[in-house]
Amino acid sequence: MSGEGSSSGGGSQVALVTGGYDHTIKLWQAHSGVCLRTMQHPDSQVNALEITPSGQMVAACGFQHIRMYDLQSANPDPVMNFEGVTKNVSRVGFHQDGKWMYTGGEDCTARIWDPRSGRQLQCQRIFQVPAPVNAVILHPDQTQIMVGDQSGIIHMWDLRTDKNDQLIPEAEASIQDIAIDPLGKLMAAVNNKGNCYVWTLDGQPPRPVPRRHLAAHDKYGLRCKFSLDSNMLVTTSGDCSAKVWRTSDWTLMRELRHDTQRWVWDAAFSIDSRYLFTGSSDGYARLWDVEKGTLEREYCGHQKSITALAFKDQAV
Amino acid sequence: MATYDNKIWLLKNIREAFIATDDTGLCEIVMAGEDFSKLFQNKALEDKKRIRESKLNQPSTSKVKEEMGDTSDEEEKEIITQFDPYPDMEDSEDEYGSSYLRYEEFGGRQRSNTAQWLDKKEQALKKAAKIKVVKWDDSSPQLSTEQIAEIFTRSEVKKPEKKKSLLAEQMEKCPDLPHRQYLEYAKFDGTAQMGLPTKSFKIFMTMLPEKHQNYPLVVCVIASAKIKDLIGFTCYKYSIEHPEITLGSVHSYGLCIAEDDGEVDWAFPCLDINEPCSKFGFTCLGLVDLKNKNVFAHAPLSIPEEGMLEVFPKALESGQSHQNPSRQHTGGSATSEAVRKAINAVNQERKVAESELDKIQSHLNATDAPQYKTYRVHLLRKVRTNTLVQLGISLERIEVEPLVAHKHQFWSRSKYFRLNIDSVAWCQILEARANKTTFRIVYSPTNSNYYGDPNNSGGASFFHPNTVYKIYDFECEHDMAREIVDKINTILDLRNSPCRREYKTSKEKKIQARRSFQTRHLS
Repeated sequence: MSGEGSSSGGGSQVALVTGGYDHTIKLWQAHSGVCLRTMQHPDSQVNALEITPSGQMVAACGFQHIRMYDLQSANPDPVMNFEGVTKNVSRVGFHQDGKWMYTGGEDCTARIWDPRSGRQLQCQRIFQVPAPVNAVILHPDQTQIMVGDQSGIIHMWDLRTDKNDQLIPEAEASIQDIAIDPLGKLMAAVNNKGNCYVWTLDGQPPRPVPRRHLAAHDKYGLRCKFSLDSNMLVTTSGDCSAKVWRTSDWTLMRELRHDTQRWVWDAAFSIDSRYLFTGSSDGYARLWDVEKGTLEREYCGHQKSITALAFKDQAV
Repeated sequence: MATYDNKIWLLKNIREAFIATDDTGLCEIVMAGEDFSKLFQNKALEDKKRIRESKLNQPSTSKVKEEMGDTSDEEEKEIITQFDPYPDMEDSEDEYGSSYLRYEEFGGRQRSNTAQWLDKKEQALKKAAKIKVVKWDDSSPQLSTEQIAEIFTRSEVKKPEKKKSLLAEQMEKCPDLPHRQYLEYAKFDGTAQMGLPTKSFKIFMTMLPEKHQNYPLVVCVIASAKIKDLIGFTCYKYSIEHPEITLGSVHSYGLCIAEDDGEVDWAFPCLDINEPCSKFGFTCLGLVDLKNKNVFAHAPLSIPEEGMLEVFPKALESGQSHQNPSRQHTGGSATSEAVRKAINAVNQERKVAESELDKIQSHLNATDAPQYKTYRVHLLRKVRTNTLVQLGISLERIEVEPLVAHKHQFWSRSKYFRLNIDSVAWCQILEARANKTTFRIVYSPTNSNYYGDPNNSGGASFFHPNTVYKIYDFECEHDMAREIVDKINTILDLRNSPCRREYKTSKEKKIQARRSFQTRHLS
């Protein structure tokens, strides 16, 4: 991780990474649909994947571990292993310069990890909540982490002051995922009832103001993500669909379905917000042209469900 | 040797030897349902019962009847019948039937469990040494406010500029994906699995034009993949590596057993597409076009005797040969049209052959060797029964066409084949018995690619020092055998192909070597 945050050039590639129940992580050539490499994720499903800001590595979190894999080498094994957590780690993310890593897990904590060892100053922090953590997301200003738990509370953890505020969008519904748009102005959360709640974030530190409630899906909501231009929000669900919403008027822009597609566990936009990747329980990842609403590519190779994906695009 | 006097034991062992050494699995299919062990166990029980009853009915032993009551079980064990098993045939196959499954074809003796365990452990340690472990440290000191302020600085949120995506650019450049139709088979990729048993095959793409089938495609699939999945994955892999070549639907292909050199054994049916590939013991397979295969699989019942130069049309350049229309029922007008066409085509070919014949007429003596002629002979086989075949000999080729079709006995179904005359190296009479003569044709399978390219046959003089020769033995009446051998030899001398010259040279060398050995030995 020594070159982390700098323009090390190692990650100057388009990378699509998927992981799932078959205990493998696959790296794909996104435009051709060919699987380039398969990495081993022993003993556990992959709950979430995140590519480091440098594009050098991908972090995968699963049961009791967060593992980092080198995307640039042919090594099928992880190069780093973060451990000491007793339960499932449900989400992982990075500081924008790769200074630290944050996770959330079923042990009812959100944590800050320092992947750079051998330094004088080890930053390591922990934030305890009353229920298992399903979602963590870092605000683009790098000082606020939103922690969504199974009891339906969103905790806003201010990293500078350690203060926290709470939000309860819906009673008795577990928060499944939280997203904040790249401008830091919008926050969205999906719950296990398929509802999506949207807030505007204003002020310093940002205060959420309820903006919209979307009855997005009939079943379990799984993920939500904003496009890089903040014009779209995607929600994925156990109703076998991914839905793309316009953030301008919160109307449905696309409903992405496929005959064989089952639960849609994860999604990611390309940097021009034109394409969207989805990963599903049928073991396929798919690439959609959001503008046209067409299925452009399919990625087949996983033996079981794809539960997580990560995509890193490259600007030209 | 004592055990060998038991017919049943022998029968069982022979049967097992067949099954165990037969990679095709056909023996097992043929003999399926005949579980001898069980059969014999039942028979032994019956016999014992009969013997015991006859014993009990004997008046002399009637007194001890009661005493025997308790010990009858032991007694029973002592009664030995002809069906009684030897120690190693006690169990029914059902219980250890899986032992016939051959898991991996490579590798020698299994290593001991301990050694394997140690190996695994060592590898795990080596692996672990390369992984940097960061453990959550509960005792790590709390950060001071200053430290927090230093590490967790607020950064300004900038509006991300509009970027052009490299992905979008790549997508535009790569619109066509030939492998996409086989995508569903990608998940059988054995190289992309962790911890799942896999199996590797060398696949010869025999349905492609010859220039594309120089090398076999090495594919590795998960062991649980079925043959149809293997076909699909082969197409997938090939279309990724050769996007310029268009393959057909996976349903139009089958996998056949092939030799190391890619020669498909047409005598066997295609592997059952619904069987898992782990069931089969061989590693070389040929991907064949089913259309092509059908031509060979259904041996015709009757052969048009006259006016036909060739029973089969010449294979097309693409390596595909279409079903010969002349063998279809000539009921409909469409079919007879096809027949007419076929006959015309054949006549055309004969004309060509004749014109060639004219050229060499001057070199001929009185014999009519180069003219196409057919003979009924028996093709001798090492394992299977001899089959009645029609041997057709012309200036260009030797054709062997089975005359008896076994509709239901697929294992004895014979194949049609032909040899390019320039791949035939030798022909001679082997032995003459009371009413039959055996003769042999020696040919080189590697030279067979001269076929269909007459320009290549005369001029080129390759020398393959390690040419492999294969043989076919036939049997027929004395006169006919002599005629055939004479005819073939005349043609061979006429053509004087590189293959024949080479064979002659190597033969002479051998004879010389033998002579020099003999002379040395004598002196």
